Amino acid sequence: VSPGGVGGQAVATAGYPPEQLGAGREPAPAGEVRLVVPAPAFASAAKLMQEANARFVTMFVANVPERSLVAAFALRGELVLLRAPAGGDRGGGVGEVGGRGSDVGEVGDRGAAVGELADGGARTRTRACACVHGEENLFASIGAWWPAARWAERELAELHGVRFDGAEQAMCLTAPEADALNDRQVHGLDAFSIPFGPVRSGIFEAIQFHIETGGEDLPRIHTRPFFKRRGMEARCAGLAPDAATQVAERVAGIASCAYAAAFSQAVERALEVRAPARAERWRAVYCELERMACHLDVIAKEAETTALYVGQARFQILKEQVMRLRARLTGNRFGRGMILPGGVRGEGAMSLDELMGAFDRIERDLRRDRRMFLGTASMTDRLIGSGRVPRALVEEYGGVGPLARGSGLSIDARHERPYGNYQRLGLQVISERDADAMARVEVRFGELSESLRILRQTVDHLRRRDGELKAELPGGGQGAACGWVEAPQGELVIWVELEQGTIARVHIASPSLRNWALFDRAFPKDVLTDFAFIEHSFGLTVAGADR
Amino acid sequence: MLEWIQRGLSQGRITTRYPRVGADASDALAGVSAPAQPYLAPARPPLAAQAGRLRRSIHVRHIDCGSDGSEEWEIQSLWNPYYDIQRLGFFLTSSPRHADVLLVTGPVTAPMRAPLERTWEVMPAPKALVAVGDEACARGLCQADGLTAGGVDAVLDVDVYVPGAPPPPVAILDGLLLAAGLPVPERRVA
Repeated sequence: VSPGGVGGQAVATAGYPPEQLGAGREPAPAGEVRLVVPAPAFASAAKLMQEANARFVTMFVANVPERSLVAAFALRGELVLLRAPAGGDRGGGVGEVGGRGSDVGEVGDRGAAVGELADGGARTRTRACACVHGEENLFASIGAWWPAARWAERELAELHGVRFDGAEQAMCLTAPEADALNDRQVHGLDAFSIPFGPVRSGIFEAIQFHIETGGEDLPRIHTRPFFKRRGMEARCAGLAPDAATQVAERVAGIASCAYAAAFSQAVERALEVRAPARAERWRAVYCELERMACHLDVIAKEAETTALYVGQARFQILKEQVMRLRARLTGNRFGRGMILPGGVRGEGAMSLDELMGAFDRIERDLRRDRRMFLGTASMTDRLIGSGRVPRALVEEYGGVGPLARGSGLSIDARHERPYGNYQRLGLQVISERDADAMARVEVRFGELSESLRILRQTVDHLRRRDGELKAELPGGGQGAACGWVEAPQGELVIWVELEQGTIARVHIASPSLRNWALFDRAFPKDVLTDFAFIEHSFGLTVAGADR
Repeated sequence: MLEWIQRGLSQGRITTRYPRVGADASDALAGVSAPAQPYLAPARPPLAAQAGRLRRSIHVRHIDCGSDGSEEWEIQSLWNPYYDIQRLGFFLTSSPRHADVLLVTGPVTAPMRAPLERTWEVMPAPKALVAVGDEACARGLCQADGLTAGGVDAVLDVDVYVPGAPPPPVAILDGLLLAAGLPVPERRVA
């Protein structure tokens, strides 16, 4: 294949900025736009995307149709995949991560020690990166001028051996234990630093915040994820689509349905199958219940950290009711195992009338508790004005989800690129302009009501029409595509490549990772004691970010 | 604040009855695959002996070593009004130096290995370690490789395994009772 990609098939259409640079257009599933540019023009094409107000989504190494570096952007209701062939064949060039577990140990030079830890040193020292860094793997850095791409670039450089020219040298991102606290930047008479985590008080996921403070104000916070990296993307490789969906569900356990749905949609789009309408409706039911559980959890934690313990108890009760509803409906408190590529495993185990009754009870309780919660001044006083993340900052970093919507951006994958059942429903995107912790709580309250509305409408549709629950996947199929959903934490995009009916490669662009990158900047005028509820107002998962 | 209290009073008691659960599968037990079994019997005396000096005020510490995040939710649930584990004498402590029981989730990723060992080391004896979730019990997706140890027992001795992906709160509660040498109720699940 020529460096220009499939030049012969390129369709000359105006509209997408990189096409001004001679980018070729490749055939793609609906909702995706695939452009191919030669590697030297990659960064300038990305620059044009930035100037066109595109949102940076992710960057990854793809094997289909050839080994390339791919950057994904959200622009005008479509997902634009900009691809630059990386040169070299599959064995060399950009680091090989195709086989099951083979990205184990590809941790870059600074992280090489990681490989030695398991099995009491029995494991051989893993290669720092076996691939040859040819000049063809050198790309101009995008992160140097677009903060949204920084972490994506560092992950590629540390794990997959892609080199970026002009990227700033920073601490190792993906092997966080390697360098502890030798990176202090705030100096002064009273300044000291707190390594908060990875073992934290309370029952929280492992992440470290390197806090530099004079005691009260917070001049610098440095978020260090990747304590929990399990290599889930590589663990999907080599599995049949159904089995790989189970792995995808466990990437971020609290958003199992969203991960399963995004993964299934990617497989379906790659194989050109569409799930039956009834299956799409059940998926919406499972996913909206999950969104409710996640939002209620965040609100309960906000009440806890602002010391409103009665409020905490009320919202914990609501959350437990939703969890028990999911357990009765699906047999699992997290709704696992229900969503599969091609459709869903089965109908919910409750009658639809019973389900409607449960929604009514939850809504009645929620309305009352919400009024009391928002009317308690001791709580709202702390949230209003805290943890301000201005809209411009969110745009710069490509923030998504309730965080972006709390800062006045109407970003919602269900609305931007409607998928599945959301193509049939009207959706109100809830957004607030205040950009503080209170705005994010209010967005979540709004979305709880919106979820209940979607649930009612969907169950009503389920009641009126019967239909198939699963479409057969063609055996031995191949292809590659993105699937996306609006997870409770924000827009989730999963890239899946299939070869002979099994999963060859997966890349997960988790909303949490993109939003954690913003967390460092969320404390302009806040003090150390505000830390906990600002963290919870982000409502992110660590497992999803670390993968 | 009066309104909050009125609301709580009007709702009445919602805490799930414990330790006895009726013959019908109640909501709290949905997702529990197996009831407490007689095979636990031989494990009880040594655990009870080990935990004998703890009496009935037991302080619990949790450490995440690479879980998928759902185990944390289920452990947190134990302190919600439905399970209200404090009435059984379990308290959450923020320092491992005050803890009697350590709950570990996840297959122990490489960066979490040293923090886990250190946390366990500083806990005063007598102490018990409970592995929560399939990954921690070495029966999950993550095998031993360069990224994870494949389970907690590759690093430390585990006293009680609570399998499940994730185990529901009642199962974690049973695991805690077992680790503390307290009686675990026999349950029937329809």
